[in-house]
Amino acid sequence: MSKVLVSMDQLSTTLSALADPTRRAIIARLAAGEATVNELAAPFDMSLPAVSKHLKVLERAGLISRGRNAQWRPCRLEARPMKEIADWIEPYRRFWDGSFDRLESYLQEIQGKESDQG
Amino acid sequence: MNAQTLKQEIALTITRVFDAPRSLVFEVWTTPEHLVRWWGPKDFTVPAITVDFREGGAWRTCIRSPEGQDYWAHGIYREIVPQSRIVLTFRWEEESATDTLITVTFEEAAGGTRLTFHQTPFPTVESRDSHAEGWGECMDRLAIYVAGQKEAVE
Repeated sequence: MSKVLVSMDQLSTTLSALADPTRRAIIARLAAGEATVNELAAPFDMSLPAVSKHLKVLERAGLISRGRNAQWRPCRLEARPMKEIADWIEPYRRFWDGSFDRLESYLQEIQGKESDQG
Repeated sequence: MNAQTLKQEIALTITRVFDAPRSLVFEVWTTPEHLVRWWGPKDFTVPAITVDFREGGAWRTCIRSPEGQDYWAHGIYREIVPQSRIVLTFRWEEESATDTLITVTFEEAAGGTRLTFHQTPFPTVESRDSHAEGWGECMDRLAIYVAGQKEAVE
């Protein structure tokens, strides 16, 4: 079992943890700054146990770090997993930007219009 | 990547306005004959493409880099609203690839047709509206944070 966990793709772990919209909202809130569990629960109208459950998942995925006395020490967002997501998205952006450039030219072509590009 | 690319959730969002009628911009997404003419990055070719353009239908493409490297991807059309919206899954055929969900919408706009493209690594179609309502501001902050982190580490 531990071998499977060790070989698990880190990005998949991050994405699994973020597959829940509530957890994404918590991450978004922490992106604005550290917060205690109480502070996190309040604006989302969520019980402390519910928030704690989500925080455990996020912490296990390395997305956040928490103080020892979880209720008093703030949770903070860890930068590296978020950067990994940004890096993972980047090639997709290049793929689609490139495709849409070609789409633009193709649309001009099939309408019989001059393309601005040579 | 800028803040706009992650506006509502962790996703890639691209908005383009094409100088063409909406019916045409929609149509070029629907047949292999059209798709082969624009699908994929600059200087890539599309040696293979199959498309069953209907809800529940499958698509599969191969793109080939200038160096001759092939990349296969496939997915399912989840939702099709003619002239208006296409929702499809997209997955590269490689180890450790993840499913992504793509939503493309087509709207008339000044200058032709506005195409809004949205790709998220969370393939479950959620009621985006209800979740995003109260969290929109947070998501903008998330986007700025991620963009800032990316720049800081580079």
